[in-house]
Amino acid sequence: MSGRHRLRALGALVVLNGLIPIRTQPFYVVYLLASPLSFLFFISVLSSGAFVPFGVTGGLILTMLSAGTGLQSDMTHYRQDLKFQDIVVASPVEAPTYVTGMALSELVYSTPGLGVFAVIFVVTGLANLQSIAVLVGVLLLVWAFASALAFTLATYLRDVRETFMFSPLISLGLSVLPPVYYPIDRLPHWAQTAALFSPTTYAAQLVQGSVGLYSLSFGHALLDWGALIAITAALFLVAAFKARWKEP
Amino acid sequence: MASAVVAQDLFKVYPGSHSRTPALDGLSLTVPTGGVYGLIGRNGAGKTTFVRIAATQLALTSGSLSVLGHDVAREERKIRERIACVPQESRPLYFLTVEEVVYYYLKMRGLPSVEARRRTREGLEELSLGEYRRRLVSQLSGGLRRRAMCAMVLASDAEMLFLDEPTTGLDPIARREVWAAIRRASREQRTILLTTHYLDEAEALSQRLVLIERGRRILEGTPGELRGRVRYPYRVALQEGVAPEELEPYGRVATVEGGQTLVFAREREARELARWALERNLRVSMGPVSLEDIFLDVVGRSIDEDTPAEDAEPGHDEAKA
Repeated sequence: MSGRHRLRALGALVVLNGLIPIRTQPFYVVYLLASPLSFLFFISVLSSGAFVPFGVTGGLILTMLSAGTGLQSDMTHYRQDLKFQDIVVASPVEAPTYVTGMALSELVYSTPGLGVFAVIFVVTGLANLQSIAVLVGVLLLVWAFASALAFTLATYLRDVRETFMFSPLISLGLSVLPPVYYPIDRLPHWAQTAALFSPTTYAAQLVQGSVGLYSLSFGHALLDWGALIAITAALFLVAAFKARWKEP
Repeated sequence: MASAVVAQDLFKVYPGSHSRTPALDGLSLTVPTGGVYGLIGRNGAGKTTFVRIAATQLALTSGSLSVLGHDVAREERKIRERIACVPQESRPLYFLTVEEVVYYYLKMRGLPSVEARRRTREGLEELSLGEYRRRLVSQLSGGLRRRAMCAMVLASDAEMLFLDEPTTGLDPIARREVWAAIRRASREQRTILLTTHYLDEAEALSQRLVLIERGRRILEGTPGELRGRVRYPYRVALQEGVAPEELEPYGRVATVEGGQTLVFAREREARELARWALERNLRVSMGPVSLEDIFLDVVGRSIDEDTPAEDAEPGHDEAKA
């Protein structure tokens, strides 16, 4: 497939899975807002407003992460129930193009959530040039590793019902337990060590550090970027070599 | 002219399968370029497994298989550039309109918008889907959804089409429309690998046929050649019940259903039997055996009987387990 053909395929997938479904069910536009806004609400109430900035930075990360879990559900449904993956496999569309197109289409659903949280981010005075740059970089990496993980899982799941189980587990493991919505020093020492296995820990520390919620030295920030990039690259490698594009 | 598909000694065992026999058990066949090649067999005989391997969707356990001159194990990309497939039990995305199903598939394959629109229009007209083009898939019957899937691949630029049970669930008129579209595609020198368990469909469309049973090739050839290879090429139907022992000297008394007695016989015996029946004022008809009769004769079971579960190729879900 030439570069131009790939672009056409990407565009088709974004429209197909991102824009057209909204025509039949407009609630798709807001469903990804539900969880992050719920967390923000509880955190605001329970901390009497003190942890609102954590709720905002955490909400941005969770919204992007949700694009990945949404991708996992869509891809499993398309593969198992509609045999859409089989149709795509037997066509000039290559796996990276399919995954990228589908992952981009999930951004359509994340955009309203990102928009709402971006407004709150600015209104609460968290935005500055540095924090915006860090936020954009971190969110792109979260979207990338979540998409790679979602694709790999989706090629193994035997029924779309299994995604109902995996999606909350992924959310729990990557957004609730790790310190995405609170400072890491609130965790006991052993849990802080365990949190280092989650890429969202590094993502949250970088964003929290960039807005002054967390004291982050330059060296620590470099380590966080390195870890986040390394985990993203590792999940890409897993997707490239272990995802079942062609079945065994 | 080069062959479109050359399969030699194919074996397929699904990982974790508890089946006693492989899904493909030494299957060899050659599909000529251009025209329709029919794969027939009972449910679970290995048809879908073969199609999925040839369409590069499923890995082969052993054997060699080339599609359009390229090896399926090493040159998948080159094959995928030139093929299109309607998988068994596939359905279009429910939130699309019929027109969008075809158009976005073509766009996904990399066609420019103008050409994709033209092909979409022609493809929908060809399968009489023009009046439904703005209807959402979720509002369509199962048969119309299946036709939309067929329109999608027939409208593509692929040289080789894999159609796995494409007319399942269609009414007789819709089936004929799909047949006409398949015939037109084959006249354009495209190669179509068709699996079906409708034997009339296989006979009406295919220039060559292969009969698969338990992952093995049982018979292969043109419909005429297949008739020539069976022991009893003629079929005599007697409307009234006649004692089987009276008929056995003429050939094989295969089935007695609805009061009708069927006898499969060689030409001379068939003529004698017809004369014998007429002399007794029995209602009788005689003609060449149908594909269904050949299947019954060779396999010993009706094509509608499923392969026993322990010998069948796994269903799609099991294959993915």
